[in-house]
Formats: sequence, C-alpha cells, structure tokens
Amino acid sequence: MNGIHDLGGMHGMGPIAPERNEPLFHEEWERRMFGLFMAIFAGGHYNVDEFRHAIERMDPARYLESPYYEHWLHSAETLLVEKGVLSREDLEDRKARLEMEAS
Amino acid sequence: MPTLAPEQVDSVLKTGASTRVDAAVAPRFRPGDRVLVRNINPVSHTRLPRYVRGRHGVIERDHGVFVFPDTSGHGQGQKPQHVYSVRFAARELWGEQAPARDTLNLDLFDDYLEGAGDGQ
Repeated sequence: MNGIHDLGGMHGMGPIAPERNEPLFHEEWERRMFGLFMAIFAGGHYNVDEFRHAIERMDPARYLESPYYEHWLHSAETLLVEKGVLSREDLEDRKARLEMEAS
Repeated sequence: MPTLAPEQVDSVLKTGASTRVDAAVAPRFRPGDRVLVRNINPVSHTRLPRYVRGRHGVIERDHGVFVFPDTSGHGQGQKPQHVYSVRFAARELWGEQAPARDTLNLDLFDDYLEGAGDGQ
C-alpha cells in the first residue's frame, strides 16, 4: 500500500543519526514486546508479511510519533483481534483495568 | 498450537527468520539485464517503494528465491520467486540535480520488474 511507511525520497525527516552504544532495548516493556513477538510467531498466528502490513495500516500520525516496538505491539493486537484470538473488548477492558490499577 | 520452546530461542535469534525458499523457480532476469520497474499501486502489502516505480535499472545480482510478500501477506500463498539487487542511476530517480555518478541499489522481487531491452 502507498502508506506512511513508504518514506523513501521524502524531505524534512531530518538526518539519520544512529545512537552511539545504543542498548538493545531502551525500556523494559520493549524487551517484553520482543519476547511476546517471538512467542506469537512460534504459535503460528501470522507470518512476517502479515505482521508488516498490519504496521503499515497504523494511523499515519501515530506511526510517525510512536517508538519502534510500539509498532510491533500495534501489529500484534491488530492481527490477533482480526484472527479471532482476542476480542477488542477484552483488550480494552484489560487496558482500562491496568490503567485504574496504575493510578 | 506450536509454541516456542526455551531450547529453540537461541538458534532462532541467531539465524533470524529468513524467508528464503528451496524451490526450483526460473529467474526471469540475469545480471546485466536492463529492467523497467512496474508502476503498481496495490492497496495491499508490497515491498516495492513508490520512488522506484516506473524507473529503469540494471540487474546487478540475483539473491536467490524467496517468499513473495505481496501474496504471503494476505494468505494467498508463498509464490516463491527470485529477488534481484537492481542498480539505479541517482539521476534516474531524483532528476538532473542529482550527482552524475551516484547510484542506488534496491532489492526487488521478480514480479516487480519488466524487461527493458537495450537503450529503451
């Protein structure tokens, strides 16, 4: 799709400046997301191409402003709901409950 | 449902998840061939970026046979095919303001390409 991920040739995105001594994971949730991703893959729920396409289908503004591993999370949630492994209601209920517990 | 066993994790991390396929598929192009990139604009998944569509390039290398994302991403089968490193002149992509000797290589699936013959 001609989506927001297809950035080649665009101007105004700023220089590509890799972080020196970049850690594998900037935050602990990213490490968990990586592990979760591998487990879902091993479970055979979707392949890498479906995974990428689900990222491409993110809201464009959200895609540009969110960290890399949040793209992975969005893709996992999208595909597991679309494939009937989870329901959107269950996901939203759990998020609401976690937010309440955290506040 | 298959699960990821602890003893598998190390090797999976080391070898990655290559989509290379051991299939006897004939390549449509060879190194040195001039090609034209198809101007396709699917709303579905593709690995063909917009900036190279409709442009002429030269096959530099054949990487071998891989799963085709455009079909695999939609449950339409692997459709294994060759992937080539295709070389484009910078001026072909970015216009006459680009440096004369700069080139860009892009890995492209066989289905993305048409033959362009000589000097077309």
